Amino acid sequence: MRSVFFHTVFLIYSTYALSIEHDFKETFQDYTQEDLHVVEKQIQNLLPRLKRTVVSIETLDGAGSGVIVTKDGLVISAAHVIEQRGKKMTVILSDGRKIHAVSKGGSQLSDAGMLKLNDDGPFEFATMAKSGSSKVHQWCFALGHPNGYNKDRGIVLRAGKILAKKDETIQTNCRLLGGDSGGALFNLQGEVIGIHSRISNKPEENFHTSIESFLSNWDYFLSEELLTLENLKAGGFLGVSCEQSNNGLLILKVVPGSAAEKLGLFANDELLCLDGIPLDTREKLTILVSKKSPGEVITLDFLRKGREISIQVALGTRQ
Amino acid sequence: MKMPNKHSFLIFIIYTLTCSCNGLGILKKEKNDQLAEKKILEFSGTSKSRILESTVSLFRNNKRIALGLVVDPSGLFLTKASASVGATYAKSSTGEKFPVRIRKRDKFTDLALLQIPQSSHDWPLIDWMVDDNRTVEGSWVTTASPTLESVYLSILSGNPREIHREGGVMGVILGDKGDEPGIPVLEVIPYSAADRGGLQQKDLLLSVDGRKVFNSQEVYNLLNEKDPGDLILLKAKRRENEVEMRITLGHRSVTFDLFNRNLLISGPVSKRKDGFPMVLQHDAPLERTAMGGGLFAPSGKCIGINVARVDRVTTYALPTSIIEPIVIKWLNSMLPKTSEPDKQ
Repeated sequence: MRSVFFHTVFLIYSTYALSIEHDFKETFQDYTQEDLHVVEKQIQNLLPRLKRTVVSIETLDGAGSGVIVTKDGLVISAAHVIEQRGKKMTVILSDGRKIHAVSKGGSQLSDAGMLKLNDDGPFEFATMAKSGSSKVHQWCFALGHPNGYNKDRGIVLRAGKILAKKDETIQTNCRLLGGDSGGALFNLQGEVIGIHSRISNKPEENFHTSIESFLSNWDYFLSEELLTLENLKAGGFLGVSCEQSNNGLLILKVVPGSAAEKLGLFANDELLCLDGIPLDTREKLTILVSKKSPGEVITLDFLRKGREISIQVALGTRQ
Repeated sequence: MKMPNKHSFLIFIIYTLTCSCNGLGILKKEKNDQLAEKKILEFSGTSKSRILESTVSLFRNNKRIALGLVVDPSGLFLTKASASVGATYAKSSTGEKFPVRIRKRDKFTDLALLQIPQSSHDWPLIDWMVDDNRTVEGSWVTTASPTLESVYLSILSGNPREIHREGGVMGVILGDKGDEPGIPVLEVIPYSAADRGGLQQKDLLLSVDGRKVFNSQEVYNLLNEKDPGDLILLKAKRRENEVEMRITLGHRSVTFDLFNRNLLISGPVSKRKDGFPMVLQHDAPLERTAMGGGLFAPSGKCIGINVARVDRVTTYALPTSIIEPIVIKWLNSMLPKTSEPDKQ
């Protein structure tokens, strides 16, 4: 009887690394001892492997963190850690090994950044979660190097729940500190769901760039300059503020005098595609529009009262 | 520019080694993030009531200064020594007040033993964790909230380790002794311990804690034996007068890295936060005035005592293995000897 019991336990735990056979309640404070036990076991199982994917990044006068997401050493981090494309940086792996790296692109809008290690590995890497898979009230945990790399201490773990998720930002109660920037937020499957970005002075105000920002703009981040708030001004301007919706982007407000208003776009219209490219994040729309020059014509597909409409519009200038 | 409306400021969390005043200004984040209500993980398991019953909050001038953990049902408590200086009364989780006396103090671990004399209260017996396997990284731990109303849930992280001692500092640069008696103060770091205590540039330092000093190294050595938070008495010559001042020593990291953003955003940290033989690290959002309470496993077994709030993400706890010999020694000297030998 006893051996059967142990055998079962072993089987359950051995499959944990991929999926969890446990139903968690979808509220914040409602968790059982059993829930806590499952979360703890899952984190402890994943920790040794995931720690090897989280790195410390040395900049000239400070430190951030990052997480390796490909076998050949691509690291995702925060835009304010890499600061610009083509910067030489030093990355410290969890075992203390130092490797040089060069920054790629990213976006200051969502605070996403990338860098590539000057060594093709193979490296252990973390898997990125599928777009839209992280939900409010889910358990999560954060790894990073608060106050920079510390050999005696090691990587620091924080565990908590997702408190809010909106557009490119996830808020959790996993407390962060300077040096954590660019470190990874994981779900209980051990997939990256966010990158540490910013905090306030309140313990529950910890903000992470959601992985969706990277997934949606992967090629752009990899190949183009870092999108800064400054170089947005030079590009085209549509003039809508929107939020993510089921089909695309729901327009909340149209800027008076903008190209969008002239065209007759209204609040509650739902943007679907720009030049045939599906709009899954606000940032994607901003990036696509800013890549165009003022006056350039784009094709916009949108949904109004259940009817799909396709129009062409000349972009304006950002005021 | 729109500032987030529900909180004062947001900063990017890159760790900057040196940061000027101007630097702070540009770090404000002008992004209106969606905010949730105040959400801290709380523990509501069966051991919750026991954790609260075994914890008291300690007060000085009607302000909470620390927590204490019962170690003997007769009314003996452990707490953080440097935080509980001058404690006059303790308050239980049921709101009862008791006068307290500090009976023992251990400089090495910063632990102190408190007594509630002639307590008729029924204090619980603590169940100590002896199995170290339960104190591995990634284990849930629980601790009483500062108000003793709820129990927080946090997680153990980082390697258990020794935290090396960092002596106390005044924040001054001293020169070589000239013809005049006294060591010249060349510079006083703004907002440092010396600055707050009233030491001024060009003062001539005569003595530290009553001991005459003749060169700067002597002063530094004397200070290095002290801890941040310790009080020293300085005598100095200022123009033609002799002045005396009391200075509460500061941390090296705080004094010489004044604009360290991590310290700014962390809020008040423990005055003594280094020089521990072994610590466990966890991430409970405890204030500086909530040190001295117990750290428990969800089972209710006590695995240590919170001994320092280090920063926004770090609390240190002394593990049971460090506490146990000290507590046994203290209890043996405090409790009336029984005539019968212990039956083990």
